[in-house]
Amino acid sequence: MAEITYTEEDKQKVLEKLDQKTWKIKDLAKVLRMNKKVVQKIVMDLIEEGKATYWSSGSTTYYATPRYVEEYERKRAEG
Amino acid sequence: MSETPLLDQIPDGPWPSFVKEIRKTAELQEKAIKEGKEIKMPGCAKALLKQLERSYEDKKTHWKHGGIVSVVGYGGGVIGRYSDLGDELPEVHHFHTIRVNMPAGWFYSTKALRQLMDVWEKWGSGLLNMHGSTGDIILLGTRSEYLQPCFEDMMKMDPPFDIGGSGSDLRTPSACMGPALCEFACFDTLDLCYDLTMEYQNELHRPMWPYKFKFKISGCPNDCVAAKARSDFAIIGTWKGDIQIDQEAVKEYAEWMDIEEEVVKLCPTGAISYDAEKKEIKIDNSNCVRCMHCINKMPKALKPGKERGATICIGAKAPCVEGAIIGWVAVPFIPADELKDRVKEIVEPLWDWWDDEGKFRERIGEFIWRKGMGMFLRVIGQEPDVRMIKHPRTNPFMYFEENELRPSKVVEELKKRGVKFKSLEREEEE
Repeated sequence: MAEITYTEEDKQKVLEKLDQKTWKIKDLAKVLRMNKKVVQKIVMDLIEEGKATYWSSGSTTYYATPRYVEEYERKRAEG
Repeated sequence: MSETPLLDQIPDGPWPSFVKEIRKTAELQEKAIKEGKEIKMPGCAKALLKQLERSYEDKKTHWKHGGIVSVVGYGGGVIGRYSDLGDELPEVHHFHTIRVNMPAGWFYSTKALRQLMDVWEKWGSGLLNMHGSTGDIILLGTRSEYLQPCFEDMMKMDPPFDIGGSGSDLRTPSACMGPALCEFACFDTLDLCYDLTMEYQNELHRPMWPYKFKFKISGCPNDCVAAKARSDFAIIGTWKGDIQIDQEAVKEYAEWMDIEEEVVKLCPTGAISYDAEKKEIKIDNSNCVRCMHCINKMPKALKPGKERGATICIGAKAPCVEGAIIGWVAVPFIPADELKDRVKEIVEPLWDWWDDEGKFRERIGEFIWRKGMGMFLRVIGQEPDVRMIKHPRTNPFMYFEENELRPSKVVEELKKRGVKFKSLEREEEE
């Protein structure tokens, strides 16, 4: 299988979106008009680097930045 | 008077009772507390019985589910359970379930089981279910704050145990015991199950599809894990060629078995004949439908053919309300040594297609029905084949586009002779 490659610019675009809300890969790829597999690869690399994280609703896994998740959880805890 | 008069009636029957087992756990918990042991969920077993009694009284469940419960890096495997009687029964206010990925074929060493039980007694209720309908080990009842340390302790075990699937992800793949315990296995089910589990860790732990997806793997058409009825993607062992017959062993069976009554007459296609004088059987293999009856009855004399592999069936599910939907044949035969690669070549484009175009909570079988078998075959790169059938020997999926049809010489000749065909008349009218 061919190796999936991307540019730094693509990575930055993904990171910016992840800092705005929680995303499913499919939706993120649609919004950015990018290939789903490329977006998946970028998100996985960002997770490895600690710049993105998982967030689970209990039934579905979403992706966001740790900053966004922390803030979101804080707001949820406050009700 | 008992606190649980309705539940008290349940263990009276002759069968093993969950009430009896929960009571035993309650007693063990009380004993452990008296001995000064640290219990993370004290009194939960007793409270669980009280909640159940209330459900019988009120004729409704007092469980709520959902919420964010997971371990770091995982989206599935933990099912949130909360009691709506939390104020009255705080011991079971949180009572989350953890699914633990079982070993392929459900083989354990006692050491592994002891370690797992120790972890669960430390971090949970101590109650569990071996095994759930998905095949996993189901650990029943813990609090949100104990999920992560429980998971971390499971990872420190030797061998470590991982969490299984839940939600809209790849559910924990399961396989029969295969060649480890069964002479009928047509391929190494355990190896394939392990390979798929390791290959698809991301799909297993991070739910992202329209709905759940299950692999189940059976080594022969006996289908001991009910793959064809319970999994979206069933991999079922089969063979090509003739059933192997040992006529000397047939003679041994003839000493004590009525082969005519117990085997020949029960062959669904009448493919077997028995020569009572010579005490030998013959099988018309072209008519064998792999029901396995004769092989199951005479395992010493009959064995599956030598060219072995598996059939892929797609689309089964087992809903309670509408009744089971049986999978249909998508790929009639894959040789055993090609299975690992071919399964991945088929399933990955299928997942992509389903993920892109599937509706929320639409299983892959329902999705294929909606989109059409022709599109499905194009996605998985298979040519139509008469063996791709929904119901055996009734309705093949074979279909043709109009431009693929060749004029029939017989029909043309009959038309010349003035024979009229209703179907052709209708076509002409259209």
